[in-house]
Amino acid sequence: MKRRSFGQLGLGTCAGLAIGSAQPGGWLQVLASELAQQEDRHSDSERILVVVQLSGGNDGLNTVVPYRDELYAKSRPKLGIPSSDVIKLDDQLGLHPSLRSLEDRCSANRFTIVQGVGYPVPNRSHFESMDIWHSCHAKKDRTQSGWLGRWISEQDSNPSTDSTAIHLGSEPLPLACQERGVQVPSLSSLEQMRLKSKVIDAQGLEMKSEKVASSEGSGSLLDFVSTSTVAALQVSERLEKILAQPDASGDFPKTAIGEKLRAVSRLILSGVKTRVYYVTLDGFDTHANQPGVHATLLRQWSEALSAFLSRLEQSGQQDRVLVMTFSEFGRRVSENASQGTDHGAAAPMFLAGPRLPKIIQGPNPDLSDLDDGDLKYKIDFRSVYAAVLDSWLGTDSRKALDGDYRAEAQRLELFS
Amino acid sequence: MFQTTIRPDQELSAIDPKLAWSAWEATNQEPWDARRVRHLMRRGGFGANPSEIKQLVDAGPAKAIDSLLGKSKSQSLDAFEQESAQIGSAVLAGSSIDSIAAWWLHRMLHSPSPLVEKMTLFWHGHFATGADKVNDTELMVQQNKLLRDHALGDFRQMVHAVSKDPAMLLYLDSASNRKTHPNENYARELMELFCLGEGNYTEHDVQQLARCFSGWEIRRKSFRFNPYQHDSGLKKLLGQEGIESGEEAIDAVLAHRSMPTFISGKLVRFFVFDEPNPTAEFLEPLADVFRRSNFTIEPLVRTILSSKLMLSDWSIGKKVRSPIDFVVEWMRNLQMTTNLDRLAKGLEGIGQALFNPPNVKGWDGGRAWINSSTLIGRSNLIVDLLREPATRFGRTDLDAWVKSERLTSQSQWLEWLETSLLSVPLNASDKERLQSVVASSDVGLDARRKLLVALSQNPKFHLS
Repeated sequence: MKRRSFGQLGLGTCAGLAIGSAQPGGWLQVLASELAQQEDRHSDSERILVVVQLSGGNDGLNTVVPYRDELYAKSRPKLGIPSSDVIKLDDQLGLHPSLRSLEDRCSANRFTIVQGVGYPVPNRSHFESMDIWHSCHAKKDRTQSGWLGRWISEQDSNPSTDSTAIHLGSEPLPLACQERGVQVPSLSSLEQMRLKSKVIDAQGLEMKSEKVASSEGSGSLLDFVSTSTVAALQVSERLEKILAQPDASGDFPKTAIGEKLRAVSRLILSGVKTRVYYVTLDGFDTHANQPGVHATLLRQWSEALSAFLSRLEQSGQQDRVLVMTFSEFGRRVSENASQGTDHGAAAPMFLAGPRLPKIIQGPNPDLSDLDDGDLKYKIDFRSVYAAVLDSWLGTDSRKALDGDYRAEAQRLELFS
Repeated sequence: MFQTTIRPDQELSAIDPKLAWSAWEATNQEPWDARRVRHLMRRGGFGANPSEIKQLVDAGPAKAIDSLLGKSKSQSLDAFEQESAQIGSAVLAGSSIDSIAAWWLHRMLHSPSPLVEKMTLFWHGHFATGADKVNDTELMVQQNKLLRDHALGDFRQMVHAVSKDPAMLLYLDSASNRKTHPNENYARELMELFCLGEGNYTEHDVQQLARCFSGWEIRRKSFRFNPYQHDSGLKKLLGQEGIESGEEAIDAVLAHRSMPTFISGKLVRFFVFDEPNPTAEFLEPLADVFRRSNFTIEPLVRTILSSKLMLSDWSIGKKVRSPIDFVVEWMRNLQMTTNLDRLAKGLEGIGQALFNPPNVKGWDGGRAWINSSTLIGRSNLIVDLLREPATRFGRTDLDAWVKSERLTSQSQWLEWLETSLLSVPLNASDKERLQSVVASSDVGLDARRKLLVALSQNPKFHLS
């Protein structure tokens, strides 16, 4: 972990105020004025990344539809989206009709589809494949750390008390955000973080003033629970202040993903210095009765995304927030007999928010060249991550990705 | 010289597997005392009240495990089952998931055989099935009974039964598995999550197994085999040729060499320690017990619970409490009753919705239980329970109960809470902090309750 030298900030023992880097010592030595001063030095223009995970394996072919491809129609006699229904992007590809709210983003060059994203030797287990996307490693080389967790550990301690990344959702913290010594708070909602008993305040202050490292040393379960407790108290106190302000987040769909993105917009608009937000939408494992379920999920995703982007536009922040959407795999090209699709491999990723050079990046899927019935990948997901880290967040991607994907990333030309 | 004890600070990799899983015996350093009884009752059940603990200190470890299983308590078992059935039929009429979760919580709180409930919870997380998708409370209750009936019985029979369980068939889309292009969902999870673990089968095996399950349907809420939708061709599965039916296929999966290790590993993580993941070599003595008992679960669980590793100081504090452990143990110790529908909702808020595990992999457990939301949520849940009008302690209020237990002074109260609820002892600075909390004003709770809430916010409270 890169740590600011102590002299630089005049903070005494520890500059680790950021929850993101879990350095709870030295708290009480920080004077409020010093804190305010540092926050001023940090501009509000820092770029933000919002990761949206579609869990369960999103059917890429029915999201970005190759509506002219005869093999598509043949493989999907019941599930295929007819060309008359798609939202046409060009003479080959069209969006699923549930994605109507994204049409304007495409024509405004604020939406990019990255085609054929995957990785070598695709794993068709949800959990293994998700872990590959999160850790950037196959099972044998994996540690309990994820790409964003490693990225956070490399950042300078955030000079505000805001954590570098926040996960919104009631599922456990995604592996992508994990790393030893890094605390990424998981919030099921902003409101839920209000403490009902102020007992913890008194106790909390005490806790913050002492080294919480237990006798068992760092890395132990007790140490983990202790640092998590400190992080929870800090976030709770910070949110208490934010929740006391009027909610300017505006209209969002009343869906789980809508609520999560509403919360993210509220945090961004409140001036929270968090750089990465992580949200999920589950349910894409459409082995049976796919059409209705998939249409509903795509509508939930696109409408929440659209509301989020609109809210940022209204406050002039649309150029500093990038939303990246992915799923652990696409689905088998041929439908099964349950009006569903089984686990597949390569699928599109989506970028939205700032001005982007192209609507469609990467070659269209080739349904005549399959790997055991699945689409072959053309773009490694890690090169998309690399582009986001290097070109969007402006940081070196190599440590976060445990590898050098910069050359591939540059060839993608995802950002102008 | 052979090592005969396990030191508390020993790395797992340095512990001899044979020693770890051999039967624990009391020594001068590690006597069979109240602390160890509490540890066993906490892990194998949901804690125990003071009089139970006293009895079990006299009875010894083997009898303590018998008691977790409700052996020699047949009268109280019958009475309990009667009461539970009455509540069960009442909640089924309402058909809300919160109510059936409340019914199960009542079992966990009051069952004379808590290990059976704990194992049922284990299997619910293992054969995870979500009510939101199944959308039929009756089928969820039916599955819950199935898991309880088989909880300590023949694992192979349980897998066969689960594979034909309507809730499972609906949850993993088996109910619509037709021969023309079988759906792979159940086939994959049977191998990946229920029996073998990822990496022990190929994609080809998944496809072949899916063919075997074609034609397995549901008719009027029961399993039905539809020969017209069954692919009756011969399949090769996991290296075995000539497999035709779903039943033969399940037997082939169960006969795979990785099955006993996989199941032992999951049980060890559930009962003994969260981290690190044990190696196959470390689990081998348990896998061997499982094989030798013809895959009966009870001998395996008994071996784990009575082992040197389980009952030595090494394993104390090595697990993060699940939301259910956290709440149920708290309530059993304080002889507390409350509005269980609300409690079920509260558990959902901190990450453990009964009958709605997060996905087919169940609850990850360990560190995944803990995050900013769940920590704040755990504290808030305790406050809610203390403020809930329906909450009682030993059929009376907290103050009367504390008096009847002779815990009137703050220091007696703290000492009692520490010994009965914490596995890792408080140090001087913890105690100092708790005292200062009690002395602080303006929190809307009296000193006795404040101490209880403050203790539940101490990191040590979340370890088992």
